Amino acid sequence: MWARLRRLPLLGVGAAFIAIFVVSCLLSPYFLTRFNLTIMARDLAFIGLVTIGQSILLILGELDLSLGAIAGLCAVAGGILMVGHGWNPWLSLGLCVLLGMLCGMLNGLLVALLRLHSLVLTIGMAGVYGGLNLVATKGIAITGIPADIGILGRGQVGGLPVPFVVMLALLALASFGMLATAPGRYAYAIGDNPAAARMLGLRVDAVRVAGFAFAGLLAALAGMLMVARLGTAQPSIGDSWVLPPIAASVIGGVATTGGTGSPVGAILGAAIIGVIDNIIVLFGVSPYWQSMVSGAIVVLAIAFDSLSRRLG
Amino acid sequence: MAILEAAGIRRSYPGVVALDGVDLRLEAGRVHVLAGENGAGKSTLVKILTGIERPETGTIRIDGRDALADRALFRQIAYVPQELNLFAHLSVAENLLMPFGRAGLGVIPRRGRMRGLAQAQLRRFGIRARPEQKAGEIAVSDQQLLQIARAASAREFRALILDEPTSSLTDMETARLFAVLRRLRDDGHAIVFISHKMAEIFDLGDEVTVLRNGRRVGHAPIEAIDAAGLIRLMSGEEVRLDDVVPPATRPGPLLLRAAGLSGQGFSDVSFELRQGEVLGVAGLVGAGRSDVMQTLFGFLPASGGGVELGGEALRLGSPAHSVRRGLVYLSEERKLHGILPRRSLRENIAVSLLGRISTGGVISARRERALTGEIIARYAIRAASPETRIMFLSGGNQQKAIIGRAMAQSPRVLIFDEPTKGIDVRTKAEIYRLIAELARSGVGIILVSSEMEELRRCATRIITMYQGRISGDFPNPGTDSDTLLAAIIGHHPAGPVPVEAA
Repeated sequence: MWARLRRLPLLGVGAAFIAIFVVSCLLSPYFLTRFNLTIMARDLAFIGLVTIGQSILLILGELDLSLGAIAGLCAVAGGILMVGHGWNPWLSLGLCVLLGMLCGMLNGLLVALLRLHSLVLTIGMAGVYGGLNLVATKGIAITGIPADIGILGRGQVGGLPVPFVVMLALLALASFGMLATAPGRYAYAIGDNPAAARMLGLRVDAVRVAGFAFAGLLAALAGMLMVARLGTAQPSIGDSWVLPPIAASVIGGVATTGGTGSPVGAILGAAIIGVIDNIIVLFGVSPYWQSMVSGAIVVLAIAFDSLSRRLG
Repeated sequence: MAILEAAGIRRSYPGVVALDGVDLRLEAGRVHVLAGENGAGKSTLVKILTGIERPETGTIRIDGRDALADRALFRQIAYVPQELNLFAHLSVAENLLMPFGRAGLGVIPRRGRMRGLAQAQLRRFGIRARPEQKAGEIAVSDQQLLQIARAASAREFRALILDEPTSSLTDMETARLFAVLRRLRDDGHAIVFISHKMAEIFDLGDEVTVLRNGRRVGHAPIEAIDAAGLIRLMSGEEVRLDDVVPPATRPGPLLLRAAGLSGQGFSDVSFELRQGEVLGVAGLVGAGRSDVMQTLFGFLPASGGGVELGGEALRLGSPAHSVRRGLVYLSEERKLHGILPRRSLRENIAVSLLGRISTGGVISARRERALTGEIIARYAIRAASPETRIMFLSGGNQQKAIIGRAMAQSPRVLIFDEPTKGIDVRTKAEIYRLIAELARSGVGIILVSSEMEELRRCATRIITMYQGRISGDFPNPGTDSDTLLAAIIGHHPAGPVPVEAA
């Protein structure tokens, strides 16, 4: 029975999310209000988009620590195009999302062609993208973003924040791609055993590059949605999107060793972190505690997973 | 006197009883063979005898004392696993003496003292290596011996358990290993020897215990049993390896030609493969057989020469391209190169066949289940369910899954690299039958093997390799063993065959 339940991969993290959600409802009367839920959903949307991409890379056995920097670079590039050059905001937005994809693709190509470890490479690339960002902006926010695209950040569809809906749509797309198409299957195979995948005749490098490109695209999209929401292009966008998506993926059952887990699990992991962060705020606890608590949750989640595997 | 006495050992895992009331008695100065098919419970028994796992019921007495109560007694049982797990980048001496504290070397080991201690062990076990050499750089057979030396020197051992120690050794290296083992036995140690190779079992063993489905189905002194009887005990039925003969078809048109192929560890290798042939490739470990095949397939880079497949040049360096052209390679390293350990049996089979079960890029779950179910049934792959992670299957069943996956791709040329390494006799016979069937159906087969018997049974032609070059090309049957052996050890067929000193 236990063995069979353990095979449902989302059961653990899903149950944990529901439990934390219910406890939060009981703890605070403000938790289950429309206003609060909307805030949480919108916050989850941004970190969630990055998490989808990062979880796919982790499944591939890779990792991109420059996703936050890509988001920031694309955000300010968008601001420069829209405000500095007066380009059509929708066109600019589209171009910047493509720019994010290219940045991701560059990371992937460097990893594949130079046989570099993605951890080391993307630390370096985070410096490159972050540096370009500062060169372009000198650290100053670009204000006066056209109000047209504001709907992307602040609008609602069917009572749900637009970024949240965008995130859900991409989660559905990513899940479908990972589970029901050949490249998705290959991603799991490559993450599980890269040498075997090559022996099988899979195009390992092509799948890896595609993974990096998709993650870069999602990060840039998150950055542009944030620009739309704030109405300014802040150079600091994406600064806090590096580690939480990795933590969320691990909580959600994506092993850092690759080959297991799913984007849906990772999003549930991100939701757990989101709810905990929210309840800490509702309780008026110092925000300085937030990071300590979510860090402890990650450790607990990994410890639980490791223990249950040893006992199971 | 019994060094170790295990009685009524029972151990179960979710869904299976791995061991059910097994008794085993290890005597000083005896080699005790543990025989059984894949999945018979040998590995579980070894884990229990070495104290890695606890039995649910049963007793283990070491030196007459209860080892389950006093676990320190398990230190007297040394264990050498099947796979090499040395620290490849550390020196031979460091491998041998770690942890330094136990070897009396302290926190900052002195080089000279380390050298001295290591040298003594190297001499004792007949290892041909210098203490300061990197462990990964010495010969595989010496690595194997080093692993035994390490297990034996790290503790005051009285019994030594070896799990298929010869699976990556050639006959000559095996003889060297056996000489060391016999000396240990004569010094009063008990040896537990696990092997699937009949000749070795009867060569080295003093007594044999046979496991089948977690039960002890037989125990006898080695003189009281013969190979046929042993196989019958292990499988519970008659398995006749002799039934398999090389396919007697006439070779068809040319399928594959390697011309002057060169790469890491070999150079100027040329041979041809015709339709319906089973081309055996013989040679010592390190002769470059796997390197040639992996280069041919595109997994390793080629430095010169070319390969033609079906009359057209093959682009080297890309396994993906080779597979698309119908050239499939099944590696000797099942765990490293064959399986996706954490994925299910179903996914492991389907991963090469997605083109056949998807429409417009979308995989049909129904067709996937049907196709993988068919392959599981056809190759009699035994698993709790198609959703079981493949790493939980026995080695034989993993191998059948890999072969089934390769077959379903309808390859034109299939390269088997040591396909029966670590595989029990019954599955071995099945694999031989499959090879013959495939050849008859027109697939070109290359069979790399260290077992002369295997090549003799399956191949229609045998090429030999010595130190990275082809040293001979012989018809099979029709060549005597001395001629083959001479080519394998690099001597002209006419010359005498010297026996290397152990």
